[in-house]
Formats: sequence, C-alpha cells, structure tokens
Amino acid sequence: MAEEQLVTFSLGSEEFGVDIMRVQEIIRIPPITRVPNAPVYVEGVINLRGNVIPVVSLSTRFGMARAEETDLSRIIVVQVQSKVFGIRVDAVTEVLHLDSDSIEPPPPIAVGVDSQFIRGVGKTGERLLILLELDQIMGGD
Amino acid sequence: MSQDDDKNQGVELGEFLDFYLLDSQEQIERLGAGLLQLEKEGGNIGLINDLFRSAHSLKGASGTMGFTPIVEITHAAEDLLDRLRQGKIDVSLEMIDVLLAVTDRVKAMLEQVEKRQEITYGSKDLVNSMKALLNGETPAAAKKTELISTHEEEAPASFEPIDFSLTEQEREKVNDAHGMGHGVYELDIKLSPNTLMKAVRAVMSIQRLEGMGKVIKILPSVEELEAGQADGFSILFLSDEPSEEIRKEVLEITDITSVTIFPHVTAESAVKEPKISNNEIVNRETENNEIVKQSVPVSPNEKSRSAVTPAVPEQAQTHGESSTQVHTIRVDTVRMDNLINLVGEMVITRTRLVQIGLDLKSQYSTDPMVNNLNEANVYLGRLMNDLQESVMRLRMVAIGTVFNRFPRLVRDLAKKTGKEIDLVLKGEDTELDKTVVEVIGDPLMHLIRNSVDHGIESPEERRAAGKPVHGTVTLDAYHDGNHIAILISDDGGGLDLDKIKNIALSKGLINEREELSENDIANLIFLPGFSTADKVTDISGRGVGMDVVKKALNNLGGMVDITTRKGKGTTFTIRLPLTLAIIQALLVEVRDEIYAVPLSSVLETLLVNRSDIKTVGGLQMVQLRGNTLPLISLQEKFGLPDAETTNNEVFVVVVGFGDKALGLIVDELRGQQEVVIKSLGDFLNNLPGIAGATILGDGKVTLILDIGSLLQDVLVTRKI
Repeated sequence: MAEEQLVTFSLGSEEFGVDIMRVQEIIRIPPITRVPNAPVYVEGVINLRGNVIPVVSLSTRFGMARAEETDLSRIIVVQVQSKVFGIRVDAVTEVLHLDSDSIEPPPPIAVGVDSQFIRGVGKTGERLLILLELDQIMGGD
Repeated sequence: MSQDDDKNQGVELGEFLDFYLLDSQEQIERLGAGLLQLEKEGGNIGLINDLFRSAHSLKGASGTMGFTPIVEITHAAEDLLDRLRQGKIDVSLEMIDVLLAVTDRVKAMLEQVEKRQEITYGSKDLVNSMKALLNGETPAAAKKTELISTHEEEAPASFEPIDFSLTEQEREKVNDAHGMGHGVYELDIKLSPNTLMKAVRAVMSIQRLEGMGKVIKILPSVEELEAGQADGFSILFLSDEPSEEIRKEVLEITDITSVTIFPHVTAESAVKEPKISNNEIVNRETENNEIVKQSVPVSPNEKSRSAVTPAVPEQAQTHGESSTQVHTIRVDTVRMDNLINLVGEMVITRTRLVQIGLDLKSQYSTDPMVNNLNEANVYLGRLMNDLQESVMRLRMVAIGTVFNRFPRLVRDLAKKTGKEIDLVLKGEDTELDKTVVEVIGDPLMHLIRNSVDHGIESPEERRAAGKPVHGTVTLDAYHDGNHIAILISDDGGGLDLDKIKNIALSKGLINEREELSENDIANLIFLPGFSTADKVTDISGRGVGMDVVKKALNNLGGMVDITTRKGKGTTFTIRLPLTLAIIQALLVEVRDEIYAVPLSSVLETLLVNRSDIKTVGGLQMVQLRGNTLPLISLQEKFGLPDAETTNNEVFVVVVGFGDKALGLIVDELRGQQEVVIKSLGDFLNNLPGIAGATILGDGKVTLILDIGSLLQDVLVTRKI
C-alpha cells in the first residue's frame, strides 16, 4: 500500500505536514535579516552555512496571527525545484507515515488557509493534518 | 562515416569531445572574423591562408570525430578557399555570404554535437552554392595559370619558404649558383616520431647530398637536433641533379618518412628560374592525397601545385604554435568557481579572526600573545589580498570576446536595412570579470541594434544632411577607476527629443509642467514600454528593449546613460563594476539594520546639518560645493520606522559613477570591510535597491545596496 512520510509541525492551532523528501533539514531560528521591499510573507534571509536563503513566515502567508518565538520555534529548510528556502513554524511535532488512502482532497472552503497552498487533508487517528503544497508557498500568487 | 559510427565511438570519444568542441568553436570564430576582414580588405594572401587553415583543421578534427555533415560542408569551404588563395577566383560578396552562412551552419551543427544530439542540419544547399562559386572562375584567372612565370611569382606565398637566416657569404653562394644556372633546392625532411639520434640522420643526409652537390645550410643545426625534440629538419642544397633523384637518395636513409623538395626562391630567382619546372616539385606525403583528389585540375601544372601547397602551411602552423600554446591552460569554469568560493569563505573567516583578535585585545591588552595573534592576522590579511587578487585575475577575460560577435551582427543588420555602416571596435583588450562578460552580451547587442536601426540614418538622408554616406558605430571599452566603461556611439541623427517628450506626455509618463533637461528627456527612453520607432521592425523590436537593457545592467550593479546631439549622433555610456564576486564595502547602519555599500561607488562621506537639507519637489537635496546633491533616506526607502532623534547632524554617504552622484542618509558609519557577494536566490533577485547579500564575520547576513538602481531611480523615475 502506498504510503507517505511526512514531517509534521504546528502553527497556531493547526497541524501541518510536508513531504519528508522535500525537507533538507530543520534548524533553530538564527538571526534573520529583513529584506526591504520583499514580499510581506518573506520574513528575511538567513545564513545557512555560507549560503543565503530566504525564510517564509507561514503565519503571514496564511493570514494567521503570528505566535511569539519560543524555544520550540524552528525553521524547516525545504527544497523545491532545486531552490532552497526556509519556512518558519511554531514547533516541529513528529515524523509519521500516512496511507495515501487517508489523504483527502482539500475541502472547498479551507480551514482558514488559502486552498492554493493545500495539497490535501490527511487523517491519522483523531488528528487532521493539512498537507502543504510547497510549490505555491514561494512565488505563485 | 555514418551516424551509427558516431554513436559507437561516442564512449571513447567522450573525453575528446570537449576539446574538439572548444577548438572547433574557436576555429569557427576565427573564420567568421576573418571573412568579415576579407570583405573589408579584399584579397590578402596571408588572411586567405589563415582562413584556409581554419577550414582545414576544422575539417580534419571533425573527420577524426566522425561528424560527417561538418566534414562535408567544411571540405567544400576548404576547396573554395584553396582556389581563392591560388588566385584562381576572386573574392566576391556572394562568396563571403555563402561562407558566412557556412560558419552559421557549422555553429548550429556544433551546438547539436554539444548537446549530444545527432546532427540534423543538412549541408547540401551550401555545398552546392560553394561548388557553383568554384566553377565560376573568371576566364582571365584561368588563362593566367597557364603561364609558368605567374606561377613562379606566386610561389613564395604558397610555399612559405623556410627562413634559413643566411649569412652574407651563404647568400652570395646561393645567388652565384642561381646566376650559373645551378639548381637551388629546399628540402623539408620529416623523421618518424620515435627516431633516436636524430642528429645522426641529419649527418647521414648531408653526407649523401654532398655526393650530388653542395649543402649550404641545415636547420635546425646538427647540435640543436642532438638536444632538441624536432621531428624533422630542412636543408638548403645546391645541385644540378633533378629533384626526384635527390629525394630518392635521402629517402634511402632509415627513419626518414618524407622528403618535400621545392626550389629555393631568392629575390633574384623569383624573376628567372630556368632550371626547375613544375613537374619537379614533388611531395610524398601520402596522408594528403585526398587534397590532390579534391582540387579540380585546370592544367597539368595545376595538379602538382595543389598537391604541394596544402602541406606547407600546416607545417608552418605547427612550428608557430608549439611555442605559444604551452603558456596557457584550459580549466573548467566549475573548478574555478569552486576556488573562488573557497577564497570567499576564507575572507569571511579571516574577518572573524580579526574580530576575535580585537575582542581578545580589549580583554587582555597586556598579553603579548594577543599582539602576536593580531600581527599574524595582519600578515594573513595581506596574503589573503594577494591570493584574492590572483584568483580574481584568473577570471578576467578581455571584453573582445564579447565584441567579436558584433561585426557580423552590424554587417547583417546594415544589409537588411540598406544602410552603410562601419563598426569600429576599440579597447577590446580591456579585461573584466568573466561573470560580467557572460551577461553583458545581450544588453550590448540590444544597444547596437538600436544604434543601427534608429541611430544611423539611411544613405539618402545622410547625403542630404551633408554627412558621409557611411555611418559609423563605435564600440569602446576602458577602465575607469573600479569600473569599466563601455561606450556605444553612432554618428547618426541623434535622438528626437521633442518626439520623446511628446510620447512620454501622451503615455502619461511625465506631466506638462515638469522642466526637463535634454539629458532627462533622453533618459526617458529607459522607462518601461517606451518606443519611438514609427514602425515596429524585427531589428530593435517592439519597444520592450531599453527598460530591459537598463534593468539587466542594474542587476549587474551598473548603469547606463545617454548623451545625444541633434544631427551629430548618440552615445550610450555603460558603467559596470569590474568584478561581481568579492568587493570592498562600506558598512552603514540605518536604525538597527546594517547595509553594505560597494566602496567602488562611494565618493565621500559627509556630516550634514539637518537644517541644510531642503525639499524640492518632494525630493531632498543638499548644497555641496555649489552643486545640488539629491538625497535618499535609506530609512524611508527601506520602510523603517522614524527615529525620534535629537541629533542635529546626519551622515550622508555620497555615491555615484562618473558625473552622477547621490547622497544616502544613514544613521552610522560602521567602517570598511571586504565582503563576498552572494546572490539572494531566484526568489528575491529583483528587489529595487538591493544588489545581493553578504555574510559578515559574526555570521549575520547583510544586504548590499544596488547603487546603480538607486541612482537611476533618482535620475529617471523621480520624474514620473
């Protein structure tokens, strides 16, 4: 049976998942340099071992209230079509397997998140996971 | 050889393919440039020989690699050039056109080879038109070849006689022999490559020859042969024996693979050469027999001549090149970029070391070890500077590599538009960074197209205006401080400023009341969506050009400016930084943020009293030594909060290129530092005012300001 491996994280009161194959690494939040005149959802750029990569604030991107930075806050560094960027999340929760069967297409009226960023909704036990469409996070619009 | 063979060979030939491609592309460039020169200067035997050689080696290399279509087409071109250099046909415009088309076709074929595709381009059409040109010999030329005397006159050019550097006495002997009707021969003797004791073969040759006549000179000398790697030698020889006999005699010596004999030509002998008839000129290089086949014999004399000539330039070429090519080495650019990245990381690390040294010093100022550390740091810094400079120099490429493609472009455009245009290239040796060279081509091409299409008037208009019918477009490059300046100027009609103003008004780009200087109006053409051409042509396009050019140059940290004079012409001046990798930067602080300003564009820093800043038309200005300096507040520009400052004075960093200047209002100056330019990536690469990022010693990312775009903002778009 087809199965997906996901990295899950929390943002506000929702739980999200991204395909683990897209995740390059997960890091603590380093100093972020703001970039003037960049799109609002770009929080800035960081130094990832000598490379400068942009960081997206998912809460801004999804129009959610922004949570305070805590010890649990992380940046998930992902790779989309050979481009690398970071997404800032409130906490990384776990890595889990999910049957492809239990993934449903995004509901027409998404749970407070613009549906273009959603690939589907996954169910595991009582939990609902919003699966992110990473290709749309940067650019798109 | 068929295409199937290519595939079978693909594996073994893989590593040679890159060499082949590099070499062939070079030959094609050379051919293209040479043809344009030929068109301009007409028949010049040296030049035609060069062209022939390029075509020949292209054919040879392609044959080895098994690219049959390229062989076919270059073979025909070689034939044509061969006839040309024998003077049997004359240079015609038609011929140049066909040969240029050949270079284009081969280029396209090579591109397919590069992409590991099969060659799908045909060669028949071009081969046929070349054949047609071949047969179009003028009767006069054909007649000429029947006269032996004209052949003798041409001999020096086609034989490229060996320079024996004769002494006065030797020359006298040769001339005497000529006067007395003795034969004077040049023998070019080749040894098989693995011959041991080459000098011995030379001595044996001399001994045998002495039985038949007199050896005047041997090159290289026997001593040199003993020491050197030469694979052959040449002998100047006086004899009454027929050349065939001489040849046989020498060939009996083992390890001598070929002997080429031709008559020695002196100034006197060029006129009269009674003893040696053409039939005595013999060549025994078997690998050249295909050249014999391909030449179309006109008279019996012809045949022997075309058999001899191709071999000689080849030898001349190998002699010449072996001495120069040793000094250069081709390196994959990926390896070089890697090296530069490493140097970049080292620069960052050194900056950290310096910071640590300073921190230690403030804490343990009396400890001599801290001083030692700092001294070592200073020394390391100097070494790093040298290393960096050397590495950067590796990447420097002459801008001529970009310029070289334009003569062809201008020629074709001129033909298309029916204009007569000369392209003058200057400063081709000016060096700049490879990264800049790679991207400067397109903007330059666009500006040149623009000059040809809109700048230069039609011949009739020029005549009516009392100007020379020939228009001139000049491309000039020179170093200007830390920048390179590239000028594209034409002697055309200049920009129609009234028209530009009207268009800008009608498009709502400016408003009626604005007072614009001529320069301001000229610069309006860089606004997006601006085109003054009455009709859209396929040469300079649909007016999408100039703003794209500007943007491309801004992205490189450069800028472009126009000066125009009605009836006299227009000049575009491009200024670009020399390198895009590591630069000196001035760090400035605005609120809590730090930005890096490329030091090459910093003119000075000032402390300005707030009360001296005036606002004119929404733009802040300050008087500086009698001139008005426009100001930009970085805090406003970058959307930072106002500070409740009590300071009466602000720091202003004056930046600019050439005669354009601008002041940046900042909070603090943080000193000067070497920074490695990093890209912000594909997502953020087009932000206004930001050229890139760098990583400081503390690991934080700092943004580098794009002075070019800031300047252009103030100079152009503030008018909107």
